Amino acid sequence: MADAGNEKKPLVSGFLMSTQFMELDGCTRCQECMKWCPTFDVRQDRPGITPMYKIAKFRELLGSQYGLRAKLFGPKPLNEDEIDIWKDDAYMCTTCGVCGTVCESGINTVELWEAMRPNMVARGNGPYGKQSFFPGLLGKDRNPFQAKQSERLCWVPDDATVLESSEIAYFAGCTAAYRQQALAVASVRLMNALDIPFCMLGEDEWCCSSALVRTGQRDVMRDHAVHNVDALKDRGVKTVLYACAGCQRTATIDWPRWYEGYIPYKNIPLSFYLRDKIRSGEVEWKRPLNFKVTYHDPCHNGRHLMHVNGRDVAFEAPRDILKSIPGVQFEDMARSREFQRCCGAGGGVKAGIPDLALDCAKARMGDAELVAADVITSTCPFCRRNIMDGRAAMEGCDVKVLDVVEMMTAAMGLDITIPDNPYMQFQEQDVLVCDEDVCKVETIERKAEGKDLVGEAH
Amino acid sequence: MADFYTLGLTYWRVIALTVLVLGVWIYGIYFNFKKWGMGSTGYQDELRHSFWLFIATWIHQAFKDGVWVFVKTFVLDVLLLRRTLRRSPVRWAMHITIFYGFVILAALSGVGLLLDTVIHFNLLGYAHQAEVIFDMMALPFDIFGYMLLFGATIGVARRVFLREVRARTSAYDVVLLGGVFLITITGFYAQWMRGNSFLVGDVFSYPIYAPHFALIHTLLALALFAIILPWSKYMHVIAAPLTILANRGGE
Repeated sequence: MADAGNEKKPLVSGFLMSTQFMELDGCTRCQECMKWCPTFDVRQDRPGITPMYKIAKFRELLGSQYGLRAKLFGPKPLNEDEIDIWKDDAYMCTTCGVCGTVCESGINTVELWEAMRPNMVARGNGPYGKQSFFPGLLGKDRNPFQAKQSERLCWVPDDATVLESSEIAYFAGCTAAYRQQALAVASVRLMNALDIPFCMLGEDEWCCSSALVRTGQRDVMRDHAVHNVDALKDRGVKTVLYACAGCQRTATIDWPRWYEGYIPYKNIPLSFYLRDKIRSGEVEWKRPLNFKVTYHDPCHNGRHLMHVNGRDVAFEAPRDILKSIPGVQFEDMARSREFQRCCGAGGGVKAGIPDLALDCAKARMGDAELVAADVITSTCPFCRRNIMDGRAAMEGCDVKVLDVVEMMTAAMGLDITIPDNPYMQFQEQDVLVCDEDVCKVETIERKAEGKDLVGEAH
Repeated sequence: MADFYTLGLTYWRVIALTVLVLGVWIYGIYFNFKKWGMGSTGYQDELRHSFWLFIATWIHQAFKDGVWVFVKTFVLDVLLLRRTLRRSPVRWAMHITIFYGFVILAALSGVGLLLDTVIHFNLLGYAHQAEVIFDMMALPFDIFGYMLLFGATIGVARRVFLREVRARTSAYDVVLLGGVFLITITGFYAQWMRGNSFLVGDVFSYPIYAPHFALIHTLLALALFAIILPWSKYMHVIAAPLTILANRGGE
């Protein structure tokens, strides 16, 4: 039942641009988006969650308030229960953006959904379920895990070199810092081994706040964007490297919208930077990884950034790394690159509607099984987490889930042992365990629940 | 030509009706632009409610990447419907034949009305020449009429024969696609009964009922495209190209 008192609140506020109102009328109802939508694929009984129906419904609601009839006879009273259903439909979306990629009218759907949601939050209709914890958690702890900021770098090996300031920065992200530390360790080891001088923000690294943008809760987001940009500028950074697709997307597209000054650095995926090192002959492979490997393109640094960074950076760099690792037999899944199937975790779905996220992850894991992959890789810790959850919910699935950076680190013979730290018991990931010549993948089960109210956040 | 104006319609009434319909159409477009102008100019700005704001925001968006990108997008994505072709050649054939069929027939109709005016008033003494040109237009009317019919038939066939498409077809789709189909068919009947169809000649000539079909065709076309367009799903005819241009070709 809808909250009483919302009836008089306006349907829209200034989050929607005038060209986005136009986009609503641009839908031709061709139904192409319905063929690709990953959430509709696992919720066939709810066509309302597809872009075509969401747009039609929103257009209808707008028409009731601002259409010709409303102009002549006054707007109809808003039916709050109807709006609540539409809100549910709008939040059952991972904002993966495949609908925008296939849209015949060229509607920029990701921006549209992310503009609709703050309207709903402003009216009191959104966010959805546990997503409402995000502003409180980030506002207080600066990360979604209620972890201590002072322990951001607790995983850094004693013999690793991380500078106080440098022209290159590695932005690890909350998940790698507290929950998938093997990725963070691998990233640091790799950069050290390749003589890349880099700094990290440590305590000054606040959550990128992707989850806030995706779920329409923008208030705390401004603080995080401004803080992170200033912290990077203070250290004289010219290039920021990301091994987290969600952080990279938010830093590239969302932070500049909040930051009023000049941003002097470039945002680059670590995989792209590392591919250059391979091409320049600086990488020496030490051991083969004899696995059949496939690659899951994260939406956030794939589709969302392909027009910013180009297709080569977005799609080809991680594949090129995998293909150059000795022993790796690479095969793409049927849906890949800009047509990839979302893992189901983004857009706040993992936190708000976990069963939907899980079903999407199972579908994606099914794609990996179809190519008989031993390992599905990605460059997003959040995708990785959700796909692992999907695997756990499937029967008899033994496809391992790794990050491209970890694969590369292991093949270079580097030690990716996580040093003992307060978050060891919360680690939950597949890791490569190697002896002199052979690597195998083991699964680390979480030993304690932790304070994960909302799971990882993107 | 005089027998065209029957059933109570005179030349002046047709002109008045056309002006009225165009007036409603123009107001409809203005109304929509103003409705869109309700939105803000950027990320979390305030609502504006301004016709001119929409125009300014659209221009800003469309030319963000320069004139060359705008021109390229206009040619490839608006005129040639590249995005549709990538997804479905069948839908592309449907859209492109309906789009060009309709636009060119509408233009030809406008020229026809102009020639009719010349004939009616014998403007500058060119009535005879105008009649000759009018008769010559039978061929292009036929060609683009068949083109429109081809597209409309694909559209209807998709909705009827493809199970998934049929299941998601709303009354909205039926009325509007049905409308296109009906206008096309009545247009053909009108031409055939007049006996001046290029392809079939006077095989179906039936002058007594020709004006009736012409009238139905004209009224349907005016009503559906000029009056309903700005207030319905048909608005995508305007909004979709504008969206593609504003998004510089889309994702």
